[in-house]
Amino acid sequence: MDIINQVEQLLEQGKVDIFIGYKELDGHVIPHGFTKENLDELKDLKTGETRYSLEKMATHLAKKDKDLKIGIIARECNKRALNCLYTWNQLNPENMEIINVNCCPSRIKIHADCSYLEPKKSGKFKKEHGIEFNNDPEELMEKYDNNERFSRWMYEFNKCIKCYGCRNICPVCFCSDCSLEDPDLVETGDLPPDVPIFHLVRASHMAGRCIDCGLCEDACPAEIPLRLLYREINQIVSDVFDYQPGQNMEKSPFTVIGDKVTLEPKPMDTLL
Amino acid sequence: MNYKFVPSVCSYCGTGCGVLFEVIDGKINSTLPLKSHPVNKGKLCIKGWNLHEYINSFMRLKTPLIKKDGRFQKATWDETISHTAKNFTKIKDQFGPDSIGVLVSAKISNEENYLAQKFTRAVIGTNNVDHCARL
Repeated sequence: MDIINQVEQLLEQGKVDIFIGYKELDGHVIPHGFTKENLDELKDLKTGETRYSLEKMATHLAKKDKDLKIGIIARECNKRALNCLYTWNQLNPENMEIINVNCCPSRIKIHADCSYLEPKKSGKFKKEHGIEFNNDPEELMEKYDNNERFSRWMYEFNKCIKCYGCRNICPVCFCSDCSLEDPDLVETGDLPPDVPIFHLVRASHMAGRCIDCGLCEDACPAEIPLRLLYREINQIVSDVFDYQPGQNMEKSPFTVIGDKVTLEPKPMDTLL
Repeated sequence: MNYKFVPSVCSYCGTGCGVLFEVIDGKINSTLPLKSHPVNKGKLCIKGWNLHEYINSFMRLKTPLIKKDGRFQKATWDETISHTAKNFTKIKDQFGPDSIGVLVSAKISNEENYLAQKFTRAVIGTNNVDHCARL
């Protein structure tokens, strides 16, 4: 059964009050909320490479009406984000209806819906002075010493124009008080922001939360390899706590207050 | 519930980034970068990300104001337009048309900007017209 019929049934049977999918408007594929009242709009429903954070939009709707039944189109990354939002009580799984779409191409399904199928390209200057998007972390550690890696990351962070796009687009960023807007942590009105603190504050908050969707990297006007950074942070979470954010409905280890510290603090001065 | 996204162009500067307004029941809730836009390709600066804020800002003027007795006071449109016309004519007659300049805005439409430059050139009679996005 094709996806349009599936959505139509969900709406007609009243299983969902609103369905968030994509539609094409003047050549742009944009998100849209389909409802029972406007069933004829369903003919414009599209699936494709376009990726927006539909689950974040669902949280906006749930904030307005907590009992609203919401249906969404979901890829693997959307589903991980949903799991994360469920465990952090931002969405109620009972009110959600998911229609899966294909993520990566395979022999069985050639069709794929992901803007990430083509790897991001790094320019010549970035290769010489910064961190490439698709760097292998182990290779990076072998190739450059501490100082070299530090200066390369600082080159990337210094480009930041402090647009807050990485936070705004992030499906799992929902705090009403954001540390990045705290004047005690980040000086307001300063450009570039306090580096590397600005980025490391965000990176540490992504621990146990980042579901590796890559939307932040897509939205970054300064092309900072954020995905690589957050992946490495979550590698630590995975090694220490054996926890992968978004994999299932298990709560993040950071929601539990333990009685002993097992992590060794590693001061920054070994780098400087 | 009515939930839609409206593509638009950022009104802050001359770059012309594509934005998407998230509209819940007729009220703009947030701004997103439009991913398929050829200018910004899914990226925005901090002003673009907060584009929705001035639309519903409580600080936005809803009626024209005229400065009387040293402070701004609410006025009707008729009052304001005749006040402005009277004073423009006075300045033009006394100092010539080049003593007046018009700075138009990115926050009004293309057509309104066109009208403003036409007004400046044809009615006031000066070429002193510029746009805030040409900074």
